[in-house]
Amino acid sequence: MSERVLNILITSFPRILGQGLLVTIPLTAISFALALVIAVICAMVQIADVKGLKQIVRFYIWIIRGTPLLVQLYLVYFGLPDLGIALPAFPCAVAVFALNEGAYCAETVRASIEAVPRGQMEAGYCVGMSYIQIMRRIVLPQAFRTAFPPLSNSLISMVKDTSLAANITVTEMFMTTQRVAGRTYEHLALYAEVALIYLIFCTVITWLQRLGEKKLNAMNGGNVIRA
Amino acid sequence: MLEVKGLRKSFGGSEILKGVDLSIGKGDVLAVLGPSGGGKTTLLRCLNYLERADAGTMTFLDRTMDMPTLSRKDVAAYRRHTAFVFQSFNLFANKTALQNVTEGLIVARKMPKREAEERAMAALERVGLADKGSAYPSQLSGGQQQRVAIARAVAGQPDVIFFDEPTSALDPELIGGVLDVIRALAEDGMTMIVVTHEINFARNVSTRVLFMDGGKALAEEPTAAFFQEQKLERVQSFLRSLDRKEGEL
Repeated sequence: MSERVLNILITSFPRILGQGLLVTIPLTAISFALALVIAVICAMVQIADVKGLKQIVRFYIWIIRGTPLLVQLYLVYFGLPDLGIALPAFPCAVAVFALNEGAYCAETVRASIEAVPRGQMEAGYCVGMSYIQIMRRIVLPQAFRTAFPPLSNSLISMVKDTSLAANITVTEMFMTTQRVAGRTYEHLALYAEVALIYLIFCTVITWLQRLGEKKLNAMNGGNVIRA
Repeated sequence: MLEVKGLRKSFGGSEILKGVDLSIGKGDVLAVLGPSGGGKTTLLRCLNYLERADAGTMTFLDRTMDMPTLSRKDVAAYRRHTAFVFQSFNLFANKTALQNVTEGLIVARKMPKREAEERAMAALERVGLADKGSAYPSQLSGGQQQRVAIARAVAGQPDVIFFDEPTSALDPELIGGVLDVIRALAEDGMTMIVVTHEINFARNVSTRVLFMDGGKALAEEPTAAFFQEQKLERVQSFLRSLDRKEGEL
């Protein structure tokens, strides 16, 4: 590797990583937190069979899962201004990522709640607890253990998907890299560099996932055995 | 104390309970016997509103209720006077043994945590598991789980406990310990309805027997009369088949 390339890599590294810490990670964290809220609400609406709302939720999940994320970003950022709704790039990206991931996670959460044996609910009723109490204290904590690995998957996907936000002018890691590459023409080295940073981020999440699973298992007495 | 008249329940067009009557007094232990598919479990689940009866009236503690239309609030109030022990234990998997017992007391009955824990420890002691309070269900044997479930039932100080085949999911060597606990409750005067296949338990512990077959209560009488002066051919053949099974073993 020539000294020039090495220099470019060294000087660009803190800049790209900096945008990662300042933009990519906050974008992922905020969007994913909102996605989880959306997911739990959508899952509960479906499981509690709330009339009317359930159809709306199914419709939302159908639309989101049936259209590309990139198209959704363009629709909201470049399309909605035609209707007079113009959001700045970052909030726009948060909204699209949250709504998109929320639809996928809703299915994960729903399946996990449905995987909790019915007897848990019945036992709760028999000791006098209400539906909400049983959900909050018995069913959701158990469902969360089941949902944790697939939700971690979704989080890892989202870290990488945030690179799409470059298309709607969010200057996250990938766009920063594109700019440096455009100026220096060192495409191979720079895109490899940003790939490596994404890999580091995802490795940390994988590591946190393992830690989290250990902790959740300890809370269920060593392993998950269903009654 | 608990009286039910004309209890009916269908699932998808097939009638499982075809008008069942039963009546128990305080301190009674009613054993519900009969072949599988006869409606025993459905009867018990209707009694605690885990299944909603299609027809029937219930009189409990001098209050008469229409079973199909009883409001959610009244069901909740009724359940605070009852407890249910399941065939598959259904302990809360994310709670320790002690928390399984305190959960209903603290959350549903709004009892202070200290008091609930004292009462739960007393209940666990009663079933011989005072040392397992911090164990999770997955760390306990089936027999221990069922005894925790019984402690959970007892801790609410119910007027009546329903048992749905409490030993059917257990290894043979663990059955005795659970039956001993139920027997001790009977000796303390607890009112219970026990769906069971343990014929000797029914003979020795129950005060009355209800025999269910084909969705009907074919017999409801004192235990001694049921076993010694049985006139119904259907019941006799059922009892003979159990004898034969035990003979073969």
